[in-house]
Formats: sequence, C-alpha cells, structure tokens
Amino acid sequence: MLYLQDVTIKRGSKIVFYNWNARIKNSKITIISGKNGVGKSTLLRAIAGMIPLEQGIVKNYNNEIFKDKIKWGQNLIYIDSKSGLSRDLTVYENLKTWSQMKGWNTSDNDLQKALESVDMLNYKNLYVSQCSEGLKKRAALSRLYLSLLFNIEFWLLDEPTNELDQKSIILFNKLIQRFLENKGTVLLACHELKLFDFNYELLNLDLLKK
Amino acid sequence: MSLQLSFIQIFISHIKREFLINFRSLVDVISIISFMILIVTLFILGIGPFEEKLRLISNAIFWIGLILAIIPSLEKTLQRDYDNGWLDQSITSPTPMELILLSKSLAYWLIVIIPLVISLPLFIVLLNINLKLIPWLLISILVGGLSISLIGIIGSALTLGAKRGNILLPILIIPLIIPILIFGVGISETVRINESPIGNLFLLIGFTLIYLVISPFISAFLIRIAISR
Repeated sequence: MLYLQDVTIKRGSKIVFYNWNARIKNSKITIISGKNGVGKSTLLRAIAGMIPLEQGIVKNYNNEIFKDKIKWGQNLIYIDSKSGLSRDLTVYENLKTWSQMKGWNTSDNDLQKALESVDMLNYKNLYVSQCSEGLKKRAALSRLYLSLLFNIEFWLLDEPTNELDQKSIILFNKLIQRFLENKGTVLLACHELKLFDFNYELLNLDLLKK
Repeated sequence: MSLQLSFIQIFISHIKREFLINFRSLVDVISIISFMILIVTLFILGIGPFEEKLRLISNAIFWIGLILAIIPSLEKTLQRDYDNGWLDQSITSPTPMELILLSKSLAYWLIVIIPLVISLPLFIVLLNINLKLIPWLLISILVGGLSISLIGIIGSALTLGAKRGNILLPILIIPLIIPILIFGVGISETVRINESPIGNLFLLIGFTLIYLVISPFISAFLIRIAISR
C-alpha cells in the first residue's frame, strides 16, 4: 500500500495538491483520471521523485520512499511521453543502455525477448530518429518486460497508450496482466478507461479536489 | 533486490553510450576541429606576414581557439538528454546522478581531446610552434581539456530549459575558464623562455582537481532543479 499523507505539491508557484491524502493499493492497477491540467502528471512525477514534495510524506507500507532514493530507484519504472530514447542509437542499443543504467545485468536473450513482447523485434536495428511516435512508445514500453525479470514493484505510466495501435494495446494489456500476477502495482494516468480489461481502482482527481 | 552491476560497470556503460552517440554522427567532433582551424587561420591572416609577432602570441591564439571552438558544443551535452527524457530516466534510476554526470564529462573530454590531439600537428605548423613545446602543449591540453569539460557540464546544467541557453552559456562559463587559460598559456610561455613550467602545470592540475570534485555535485543539483520545474 502506498500512502500519501498530507502531501502538498507545487509546480512553479502554483499549488497543485494541498494537504492531500490518498492510498494506492498494492498489486492492483490504479488509473488516475481527470481533466487536462488537474495534476495527473505532476502527481506521477512527484511519486517518482522528480518533483520534491513541499510538505508531507509518501510511504510504501512503513518505509518513507524518498529517504532512500537509490532503493526507490530500484523499485520503479517511470515512462511518460518523453521516453528517454536517444535519436542516434538504435532501438536495441537504447534498451541496453537503459537497462545498464538501472543496474541490471541483462543478457542479449532478455533484451530480444523484451523487444519481442511489444512486437519490436523487426525494428531492433532501426535508429530511433527513423521511428514513428508509435514505434518509439513501443520501444519504451519494452522496458516493462525487463522489469518483470528484475522484481520491480511499481510502474508509473503517464498516458502510455497514447500513440499505440490496437494490437500494441493488447500486448500492453498482457504485460500489465503478467505484472499484476507478480504482485506488481501499476499507477497509470489515462483518459480512455475502456482500453483496459481489468478490475482497476479509479483515482479521479476531479472529484477529489472539490 | 540489489544492483547487479557495480557502479564501475555502470560508469563504463555510460561512457560507451556517449561514445556511440557522438561518434555515430561525427558532425559535432568535426565542427569543433574545423571551427578551431578557422579561428586560428583568421588570427594568422589578421597578423599578416610577421613571424616575430606570431611567435609572441601563438600560444595565446592556440588556447583561445581551443576554448572558443569547444563552447558551442557544450550546450548540447545535456540539452539533448534533457529534451528526450533521458535525464528523467536517470533520476528515477538507482544510479546516482553525480556518477552519471562524471561519466558524461569524462566521455565528453575524451571525445573532444582525441581528435584535437590527432590534429595537433596541423596547429603546430599553422602557428609555427617550437618543437620543444610539443610535450608540454600535449599535457596542458589534456589537463585543461578535462577542466573545460567539467566546467562545461555545470554551464550546460545551468542553462537547461532556458530559452536562450546558447547565448547565456558562454557568458556564464568563460569566467570559470579564465584560470585554465592563464595557466595553460603560462606553461607554454615559460617553456618558450627556457624556464621551468612545473609551477604553472601544478596550478592547472590543481584547478582541474577542484573542478573534478565540485562539478558533478553542482551540476546534479542544478539538474534536479531543472527537472522539478
């Protein structure tokens, strides 16, 4: 269970969340919804540790997550619209350098399988500068498969389905299914709720802020 | 779940990544060298056919050319990774930001310095540099180059997300480069008048070590601010 206690988050000079409490259930998928600009991305970035909290704490069970940032970094994957793919590297090289940054000792076989899980194996040696937006998003989502191998607990995904086609969404759903079976927790900001065929928890920021 | 790779392995993998990115499109590397050749050539043409004049200021021309040629490429070192989200990924990874930045500046140093050392004979001919200066010149650009790339990372981190970063960056970092210029030129000048350059060299190394210690921490701090905006 992820507890947010009396959290105040500022973006620039604007207060986005003020003394706010929330609970995010473990081993479940929680979808954060709400209209544009309500603070979905800000919330995800704050939980990922990119935006420091003005006030309050975030606890994973009894551990304050920001006390040990290295441990928290081993525990989560964050993917948003800027996926961290370098234009001058191929899809495969990008995945490899990324997994090394996470400190994982991935074999060539693991990386191949990861690309296969999002149907990107044919584009393995394509430069990211030549990829379409959808392909880039799929290349970024291939990291999710790797995280299944390395016992990651949290996925923080900011509108991951935006550029995906029908088939990729099915593959993405499969990845989530496997992750939930492994007791993983997914926190996902999205507008289109009908894309997911699971029982999800809904965190509607529109309602909570009134 | 602990890290499977040691920090050293992660460090090396980052350097490899920078090399892949920079040497795949050689544009940046070639532009640094050709820009430096242009600056040096302009100076030489400006001085005219007076060998005596050139001999007095050739070391200064070399260093100024080096600094001016490197500065435009410094901005890109972090800006590219900021734009494509790599820095976001770095901050949410277990690798400390400081380590990533240290590997970045070392990689950048190697990327700039290798082509520069290769093209050194050209500058020696162009500037009519005395042959006994060559080993000292080599040492001073190796050490000074490391300083410049460490300072450059600070400047690059400082101007992340700024709209006119390419103008702001030189204004911010040139004051920090001044000691490097003074002692770098000092090494060559003392050799030219047959004195020992050791004092200048130690000061240059001293400054480089100071920058080596503070640069990763300052720039990591600045990047955290840039990302939290």
